[in-house]
Amino acid sequence: MTTSGWRRGVAGVALTALTAVGAVTGCSAADGPAGGAGGAYTVWDPYPQFAGGSDWEKLLQSCGADAGVTVRRTGYDTTDLTNKALLAAQQGNSPDVLIVDNPVISTLAQAGALTSADETKLDTSASAPNLLGAGQLDGKAYGVPIGANTLALWYNKDLLGQAGVDVASIKDWPSLTAALAKVKGAGKKGITFSAIGTEEGSFQFLPWFWGAGAQLTALDSPPAVSALTLWTDWLTRGYAPNSVINNTQTTSWQEFAGGDYAFAENGTWQRANAEKLDFAYGIIPVPASAGGTAPAPTGGEFVALPVQRDTGRYDVSTKLVTCLTSPDNLLKTDTTLSYVAPVAAVQQTQVTADPELKVWVDAVNAAKGRTGDNLGTKYPKIPEQLWTAVQGALSGAKSPQAALSAAQDAAAAATR
Amino acid sequence: MSSTRGGRWTAWAFLAPVTVYLLACYAYPLYRNVELSLRRYTVRSFVSGGAPFAGLDNYRDVVTHPTFGPALAHTAVFTAVSLLCQFTLGLALAVFFHRHFPLSRTLRALFLVPWLLPLIVSASTWSWLLNSEAGVVNAALGALGLDPVNWLTSPRWSLVSVIVANIWIGIPFNLVVLHSGLQAIPTDVYEAAALDGASGSQRFWRITFPLLRPVSAITLLLGLIYTLKVFDIIWIMTRGGPTDSSTTFATWSYRLGFGSLLPEFGPGAAVGNLLIVVALIGGLSYVRAQRRQRW
Amino acid sequence: MVTRGPARAAWWRTGLGVVFTALMLFPVYWMVNVSFTREGDLRADPPHLFPVDGTVDGYRVVLREQLPYLGTSLLVGLGTVALTVALAAPAGYALAKLRPVGGGALSFVLLIAQMVPGIIMAMGFYAIYLRLGVLNSAAGLVLADSTIAVPFGVLIFTAFMSGIPDEVLQAALVDGAGRWRTFRSVVLPLSRGSIITVSLFAFLWAWSDFLFASTLDAGGASRPITLGIYRYIGNNNQEWNAIMATAVVASVPATVLLIVAQRYVAAGVTAGAVKD
Repeated sequence: MTTSGWRRGVAGVALTALTAVGAVTGCSAADGPAGGAGGAYTVWDPYPQFAGGSDWEKLLQSCGADAGVTVRRTGYDTTDLTNKALLAAQQGNSPDVLIVDNPVISTLAQAGALTSADETKLDTSASAPNLLGAGQLDGKAYGVPIGANTLALWYNKDLLGQAGVDVASIKDWPSLTAALAKVKGAGKKGITFSAIGTEEGSFQFLPWFWGAGAQLTALDSPPAVSALTLWTDWLTRGYAPNSVINNTQTTSWQEFAGGDYAFAENGTWQRANAEKLDFAYGIIPVPASAGGTAPAPTGGEFVALPVQRDTGRYDVSTKLVTCLTSPDNLLKTDTTLSYVAPVAAVQQTQVTADPELKVWVDAVNAAKGRTGDNLGTKYPKIPEQLWTAVQGALSGAKSPQAALSAAQDAAAAATR
Repeated sequence: MSSTRGGRWTAWAFLAPVTVYLLACYAYPLYRNVELSLRRYTVRSFVSGGAPFAGLDNYRDVVTHPTFGPALAHTAVFTAVSLLCQFTLGLALAVFFHRHFPLSRTLRALFLVPWLLPLIVSASTWSWLLNSEAGVVNAALGALGLDPVNWLTSPRWSLVSVIVANIWIGIPFNLVVLHSGLQAIPTDVYEAAALDGASGSQRFWRITFPLLRPVSAITLLLGLIYTLKVFDIIWIMTRGGPTDSSTTFATWSYRLGFGSLLPEFGPGAAVGNLLIVVALIGGLSYVRAQRRQRW
Repeated sequence: MVTRGPARAAWWRTGLGVVFTALMLFPVYWMVNVSFTREGDLRADPPHLFPVDGTVDGYRVVLREQLPYLGTSLLVGLGTVALTVALAAPAGYALAKLRPVGGGALSFVLLIAQMVPGIIMAMGFYAIYLRLGVLNSAAGLVLADSTIAVPFGVLIFTAFMSGIPDEVLQAALVDGAGRWRTFRSVVLPLSRGSIITVSLFAFLWAWSDFLFASTLDAGGASRPITLGIYRYIGNNNQEWNAIMATAVVASVPATVLLIVAQRYVAAGVTAGAVKD
């Protein structure tokens, strides 16, 4: 092989690359036709499990019919939806109505991809303030909750009975840990939860973090360390399985459903699955460290109106959202999703229909938005540090104190 | 042959479709990745444009990041061990299946089945098998009287676990390509060797291995490229954790760009481009080896 | 066939082959096992080695809901094969036999092209398709899926076609056949083996692709089978026996196809010898 042959080869690559870039810039200058023709309005949601003929699809169509338009709906996997929404906004081709997981709202709002409720005159007054909070940025609401959920402790009644644990005795962390010890002594497994290295892991850790009195603004405070120490001790003593480090909330539920675990930290949405359990179950709120109920984070999806080039479309889109979040429709949607309604009046209807839901309604009303603790736009930087610290401590790579100190340093650097 | 000028340009008539295709399909994503890495993007400027040009800042940030060192080491170990094992096992199986025996074709076809599965399914299956609590691997260890291993949840084992799963996924590819290579070796060469009284291992090292070199080189090169960008398996099995213990450049790039609430597109793209550079070096050494052989 | 040993030795090999295959396919068996397992037993400790107390609910659901998607997958797979071979075979011929100016650079670009991370490719296609309004179409998915196979195809064709003896091609040229005729009536028939190898891979990749499908085709009516799985992955819930049942159902037709294709792979590859 010769050097000159080499050079030619490399120059060839560079040339090809250059032409390529040229072709692209040329391409993007020519604007494609905008999507969503005439009377069709597009809706994206994170409910791919609802197919063509589902109630959810029918509800969307009937809301469209009421507003005099047809609705084109696409259900995406929830993990993809954020990227898709950002890309669509970049391409100026956002859907008219977007339904997304609540912590994503602040990201999309920061990106300038969503309209505020002031602009579109969307009425948000019916929603409970603690739920609405998750969709607010700098005092403006960027969407309305379509359903809410939160975390609590599910327990296996049969198993606790065998182990001789009285659920009523569980008031705080020491009594919970004592119960776990008793369960382990009876040859069963204590508690399962999700501590995976994603937003889910932070979501599950927050009730304990807040229940100790810690704030997201100081990840390495003594209460925070005590919360992480609680989890770490459970693992080292064998009260909780090592698999929690990789558990999603779904896998953690599967462990609980197997019948070997006394407790599982999981959410409202498992109510439909709970019907399939072959043992008796119950629910208690996550206890705070010194007693009482720990504030759990709010979960659930928001309906939002992405920014459109043609602002004339907001009128109809607002009508669609108002229809979707009307009391009757909320009741239908939230029943299908096993969620708690975000509106007090509808919550009452839900409880009347199903008294078991009361404990969840109370939990949702006591729950706290993740963007709370005065973090606002800084929030999205925090959970990554938090789950990294949780994983570090649980896997034994670091002590809880060291893990959280590192997390606080990283968070401070990221939000500066 | 055909070294006339006319011949050379006819060649481009044959190459034109693929050239147009390359420009149409790869140029934009590639350009986009480079552009993302050279600007300081926030979510807002990602959507509305106007991200300031940052030169190599993203690259500097990435290289000085505490994750860089571990990610580099894991990428090297992951790629080297995966490649070596996939190739060795693939070659051994190809040689094994090269002899015809009853059911050999069917069994060889069955070896491709893992490939038909979407990665989300095969990776989830592996994380089941290796689950600390209820995994069948730990159950087997228990039956042998050994202590369970936290395959996916201890920093010591997580990289090993994802490598094992990746080797499993890569075997079919190596088997098929190397097997076609073996098929292409003329049988009379072996017959001559057999007459000369060469033993089985002599035949392998003196004939099969050298004659298989071009196909082996391609297999290893493609293997390098595919292994460098493996991300789904690791992401599904461990999310690169716990505490970065199985983070490679590919998963790190994904985590920066898509794995948290506030995407950091710039650094994410920078890590992706570093991977492309590594592959470029691999490609260059392949071309170099090729040319040395030819002339 | 190298040396045909006594029949007993051959059966001994079969036995060993079965053991290897069993080891290799154990994770696949596990997937089948899970597809029959009741939801409550998924994480049982110790795990159930056989679906003793099993359920066929997953299959019942899948057979009811998923069969139409198989057709789309087949269509997309075959389309990808056609596009890949159509683009890669002429390119492989040119690179192997015509030694074009800049050919080295082109094959180098092909190598590098494969390094663009899948997610970046998918985002690029997504942005373009969104503008052109061709999201959720089978044709769009074929184009995207082919990007996994085309560079591979060109490399494989180049490697195998360079093994075709030059004299054969010269003879055709002397007979007055143009380059195109030579390619069509001499090179292609001689390359049957590599065409099948490339087709096999193109098909497999398209069949099992998930990333492009979920990015580019998630909303349409004509979705491939891998996306059918998404019906069982909800926001907060995953129906694993249905997911695994889908994977099983999806791999059966493709496995049959593979076993059939194997016959031709073995028959054809010998035609195009690989050498320097």
